[in-house]
Amino acid sequence: MTERTIKSMLPGTFYRRPDPQSDPYVSEGDEVKPGDVVGLVEIMKSFHEILSDAEGRVARFLVENEALVDAGQDIIALEPT
Amino acid sequence: MRTASVVESGIQTTVQDYPGRRGMLAQGFFPAGPMDHFAHRAANLLVGNPDSAATLEITLGAFRLTLDGDAAVAVCGAEAPLAIDGEEAAIWESHEVPAGSEIALGIAPGPGFRLYLAVDGGFDVPPLFGSRATYTMGALGGFEGRPLHSGDGLPLGEPGANGAGRRLRAAARPAYSREWEIRAMRGPQAAPDFLTEADMETLFSRKWPVDRNSNRTGVRLESHRFEWARRSGGIAGGHPSNILDNSYPPGAININGDLPVILGPDGPTAGGFVVAATVVHADLWKIGQLRPVGDTVRFREISIDEAIEAERALVETLSESSVEER
Repeated sequence: MTERTIKSMLPGTFYRRPDPQSDPYVSEGDEVKPGDVVGLVEIMKSFHEILSDAEGRVARFLVENEALVDAGQDIIALEPT
Repeated sequence: MRTASVVESGIQTTVQDYPGRRGMLAQGFFPAGPMDHFAHRAANLLVGNPDSAATLEITLGAFRLTLDGDAAVAVCGAEAPLAIDGEEAAIWESHEVPAGSEIALGIAPGPGFRLYLAVDGGFDVPPLFGSRATYTMGALGGFEGRPLHSGDGLPLGEPGANGAGRRLRAAARPAYSREWEIRAMRGPQAAPDFLTEADMETLFSRKWPVDRNSNRTGVRLESHRFEWARRSGGIAGGHPSNILDNSYPPGAININGDLPVILGPDGPTAGGFVVAATVVHADLWKIGQLRPVGDTVRFREISIDEAIEAERALVETLSESSVEER
């Protein structure tokens, strides 16, 4: 089956954690469901949450922490749970 | 009275009018108003409004609105999927929207970053100091001085003649790009007093990447170590970009240390950094369409005569002669 991905709907800088002292929202192997926060995108001096729109297990991250992403870019690959 | 209700607000949607809150620099108000004045004015033209009617400035998209009365609506700006009650509709055109309809905008994939939604009669929020524009830095004007949230209800003005079924001719629509050319005039603080001629050549030849933290306050470019004509700012400060505080023009290319910033409609009225060049008004709309990730800007130097001619051409483009019936 085709792998599902979670996309960023916004362009900006991608962060895996809410702040530098906190744990990542999700890591490889974690299960996510629709509506779970999986990262942040910083744009125009404000932060926006990336929400999962699917259920699955995080197979891998397709972008590095603090990488620049564009609108619609794949962020996380999910595998079926 | 008709009301528009916000269903989905997008990342930043504000009420804006043109030319914004003018004549208030001495009181500390930059003009606010649409960051892309061309698309704002075109949307108003299509629905039969004057330039001064308030529109919604929608950043990137992901925006939905319902109307409780019949209206003519036009969206202009960055290409994005537009649907009226689920039916696909074109931007740069005005549409008849029956009472109860939902207007839905998807995400603009680029090029371009902002969209302007005009309704016949305009968004009738209370004017503040003569303008309905939202000044985000001062948190005033527009709708309660802030970007819209879902659930907000906006009063609409009295509609004039029905403006549905009109579109801007293809030749009148501006070309969008990921690599922008923006015309500018040098100064007020340029070579040889503040920067070197080589610096001015760099400013007018480099492809400047647009930084992610650009917004209505200013468009940040990429840091660059200029040569500078002076070793320091003297009594104004240690860095040669420092000058004694003076007022800034909208569209100023402000060199803040090593960082060039184009001042937007909600920018600071005054400050202590040199303004090496200033974007001409006929091209100022482009700063509203720069995407903060991946776009580049090249500045092209023009004279004041060319700037006046460019402005005359823009006013002519934004006229009834550019509108055709659908």
